[in-house]
Amino acid sequence: MNNIQEFTYKPTDHESERASNSYLMSLIAIMAGLPLPIINLIATLIFFLGNRKGTHFVRWHCTQALLSQLSLLIINSVGFWWTIAVLLHSDQVTSNYVAYIITLIIFNIAEFATTIYSAIAVRKGKHIQWWFYGTITNLICRS
Amino acid sequence: MQKALFQLLAIVAIFLTLWLGLSQINWRKKLKIDQLNQNSEEKIGDLFWKSISNSEKEITTKKAIQPLDTLMQVICKANKIEFKKLKIHLIDKDEINAFALPNNHLVIYTGLITNCDNEAALLGVLGHELAHIEKKHIFKKLVKEIGLATLISMTTNGNSSSAISQALQILTSSSYDRSLETEADLASVDYLIKAQINPEPFADFLYQMSNADSNMPQQIYWISTHPESKKRAEAIVDYIKNKTIIKNKILTPDNWLSFKNAAKSTAEETVD
Repeated sequence: MNNIQEFTYKPTDHESERASNSYLMSLIAIMAGLPLPIINLIATLIFFLGNRKGTHFVRWHCTQALLSQLSLLIINSVGFWWTIAVLLHSDQVTSNYVAYIITLIIFNIAEFATTIYSAIAVRKGKHIQWWFYGTITNLICRS
Repeated sequence: MQKALFQLLAIVAIFLTLWLGLSQINWRKKLKIDQLNQNSEEKIGDLFWKSISNSEKEITTKKAIQPLDTLMQVICKANKIEFKKLKIHLIDKDEINAFALPNNHLVIYTGLITNCDNEAALLGVLGHELAHIEKKHIFKKLVKEIGLATLISMTTNGNSSSAISQALQILTSSSYDRSLETEADLASVDYLIKAQINPEPFADFLYQMSNADSNMPQQIYWISTHPESKKRAEAIVDYIKNKTIIKNKILTPDNWLSFKNAAKSTAEETVD
């Protein structure tokens, strides 16, 4: 789902660290913000805004880290409110609901693993480009 | 841009395929959700009944209980409802009230019996509560009103007496959704027709109670918690208009009177 590509220049050690931190930020926020899905998006957004004026490599990875949270935000929000409806109102625990929660967990684990992998690889100066999010980031983040 | 759109569609497709694929599995059965609900319902029902029996006096005399069982048995048999699963409790109280609790508990106040002119009217009210039991309205109402989380905590935490009394208050003195009330009314009429009992007195009872003396509203619990009684009575009359009704009686007039007297005298003994 993601691949390592050559960046336009070789990032410095400081740049790699800052870029890697953008992924770490979303990981920490996921752990701190569960089950509220908006927290990790806000944390990544703050980090993104703080690095707006950073180098191209740092901005690129901050943008990818931010965009990767958007799909999870939608999926997790639906799951969150559906669960609230089940707990507080008359919504039943249906097979559709259980299937949705399992799918949500699978997507979250996949995202979590990819984020850890990206944080490690980017820290080593590698340019990791995610499926879809990398493509979108290339369109947004031009040198 | 085209590449991004294609990749987005691919992600959405993977998500939907996974979700729809997984939803083909009967998770309710696999996770034993129905069994869990059943267990919770049993525990909650017994907790509620324990709470009521601690504060109210239950009548267990044969004179009052036997005719009540006979009436309910006829209704159950005619409608293929298992009578044995019902836990019928007669409470010595002059309020005109009857209500169903989870785990098939049916609580009837003596005030209801003494204020019914005939067995058909009483059976109409009891049939209504029986329909709430049969159509699983009680647990639905509780989940809606106080939430599944509170209900589960009640079964795991025996000390949640305030939550129990709040839930009991909801079950004994508030009505169900209008659609559920209508469903229970019409189901009760169907029960009566199948048992060859005339449902008209049930409608009459609703009319009478809605026009009852305004200085005794606190006692007419069943009516005050079931608003729009006139409309409900009209709906029943309308429902049975073209139906063939056989008007049999279960108890002889003497037995009905002695049943009423048994309920009345128990109430009077308590007052004395």
